[in-house]
Amino acid sequence: MGDNETNILLKVEDLNIVFHDHKRPETAVEDVDFELAQGEILGIVGESGSGKSMTAHAIAGLLHRSEITKSGKILFEGRELLGCKRSELRTLQGNDIGVVFQEPMTALNPVKKIGWQVGEALRIHTKMSQDEIRAKVLEMLASVELDNPEEVYEKYPHELSGGQRQRVCIAAAMICSPKLLIADEPTTALDVTIQAQIIELLRHINRTAGTSILFISHDLSLVRQLCERVIVMRKGLVVEEGVCEAVFDNPKEEYTKQLVAAIPKVDFINKK
Amino acid sequence: MANTNMGKTITAKAQNKKAFGLKLKIFKDKKTNFYVGLGITAFFLLITIVGYFWTPYNPNAMDVDAKYSAMSFTHLFGCDNFGRDIFSRVVSGLGTTFFVGLGTVLIGGLVGIIIGAICGYFGGLVDEIGMRIMDALYAFPSLLLALVFVSLLGSGKYQVIIALGIAFIPSFSRIVRAEYMRCRDLDYVKSARLFGASHFRVIFVHILPNITPVLVSSAIIGFNNAVLAEAGLSFLGIGVQPPDASLGEMLSSAQSFLFSTPWYALCPGIVMIIMILGVSLMAEGVE
Ligand SMILES: Nc1ncnc2c1ncn2[C@@H]1O[C@H](COP(=O)(O)OP(=O)(O)O)[C@@H](O)[C@H]1O
Ligand SMILES: [Mg+2]
Repeated sequence: MGDNETNILLKVEDLNIVFHDHKRPETAVEDVDFELAQGEILGIVGESGSGKSMTAHAIAGLLHRSEITKSGKILFEGRELLGCKRSELRTLQGNDIGVVFQEPMTALNPVKKIGWQVGEALRIHTKMSQDEIRAKVLEMLASVELDNPEEVYEKYPHELSGGQRQRVCIAAAMICSPKLLIADEPTTALDVTIQAQIIELLRHINRTAGTSILFISHDLSLVRQLCERVIVMRKGLVVEEGVCEAVFDNPKEEYTKQLVAAIPKVDFINKK
Repeated sequence: MANTNMGKTITAKAQNKKAFGLKLKIFKDKKTNFYVGLGITAFFLLITIVGYFWTPYNPNAMDVDAKYSAMSFTHLFGCDNFGRDIFSRVVSGLGTTFFVGLGTVLIGGLVGIIIGAICGYFGGLVDEIGMRIMDALYAFPSLLLALVFVSLLGSGKYQVIIALGIAFIPSFSRIVRAEYMRCRDLDYVKSARLFGASHFRVIFVHILPNITPVLVSSAIIGFNNAVLAEAGLSFLGIGVQPPDASLGEMLSSAQSFLFSTPWYALCPGIVMIIMILGVSLMAEGVE
């Protein structure tokens, strides 16, 4: 670890997230610690409600509400994100950090054309002309392996399938070539075959663009396919952390053992 | 917090209806409603536009010989107590009515959208303060509120527009606020924020186009209410001032001749009713 200290992209230290919108304060994330190196794919697994999304939202800067208290540190290239001003955060959002959500159905604006939505981050962060943005968007749509980018550009979200929409979301998140892509259950709403394609696409993005990916899923087999390292979360706590193979082949915690036992056997056969 | 938001969202539509009372449904089919309404409205709009350039008689010209004359081919709607052609006055009055209606919706709508969007999007203290001001404004019947403004600003076409426009802000802002509360936590809004969009951009570029159906139907119903309110103000003698014609002003002047020359009151009255009907049908179809 010590020698690659310099290419740490993201460092989360003692992250705590507490909700105060009910009578009793509710801790969603407790003392979470992890690092993500440049070019690495890190998986976060855990059952639903274990605080995966909240961790991701905190990193992306979505938890700016008064009912939520956060403590700890989120260092992105050494910059503290948790306490920084929204205006400062905005210069990173979409530019250095891209996010893909679980539901491609709702993540796109229903009344805007696909091309417009994919180009939005460029419009915000760069001074490119209309034509340059259009060209870049078409290039991006092609690179997420959508057929007929020109056609897709002019379409509205409801005219696309779930898988196509998720590709569009990935294109929109990647348009400014961010250093970090946060993918929060990006395949959960999709069919198994489409899932595999999206996973392949993420791997491709990681290899070609060198983008670090924080891949969140409740599906261990997907994490195992894609990630080098994994952290296992439960009830807001990190219960286990390590290299994928080691964690899954030799789980130390009871909870991880249960998760591993729940993976359908077919995936193991495929893997070998 | 989450729960109360949900409750408010559900009542948004109901609130829309409550805030703007008038609603009509004649045909079963929404499309028929809309097209019949559109037809009627377009017809009146056409007459208004033609009337702007040409009316059979000068609406303010008095013909002593034609005083109180009944409906005929020379004077389609007859003449009033000054011998003015009622048809010409109705046509030019329609123009005033449209102008006041549109102006009111424009002022009330624009300010209402801004206030409603900011309150609904940000929530919290901003919302609390903004909505209490709107509540206070809404607590006055809009006619009474308009009365206050007219007495402050004087009477006339433009004063009526400003007065009614201000009186209409609360209804618009409430509807818009409810829509923004519904939209602000949706995934595509989060996505927009995650692209680094400013609040301003999220509010007006990303969310606003999504609520246009609601805006259009509120604007149409608001237009109707403005027409009625203008008629009410003019009827009370504090709206559009003579010799400017407006439908409400004509109704007001016709009071004294209700039995001797009933067409004086009936003609502008019926025209107004049909016009309101047309616009209401259109509003029904839009939803
Ligand atoms: N608005 C909220 N108020 C209170 N607690 C919340 C709220 N949203 C989420 N939580 C808590 O955060 C925890 C983690 O949620 P989340 O990160 O979405 O889980 P997941 O791992 O499924 O993505 C949940 O168990 C829930 O108790
Ligand atoms: Mg989640």
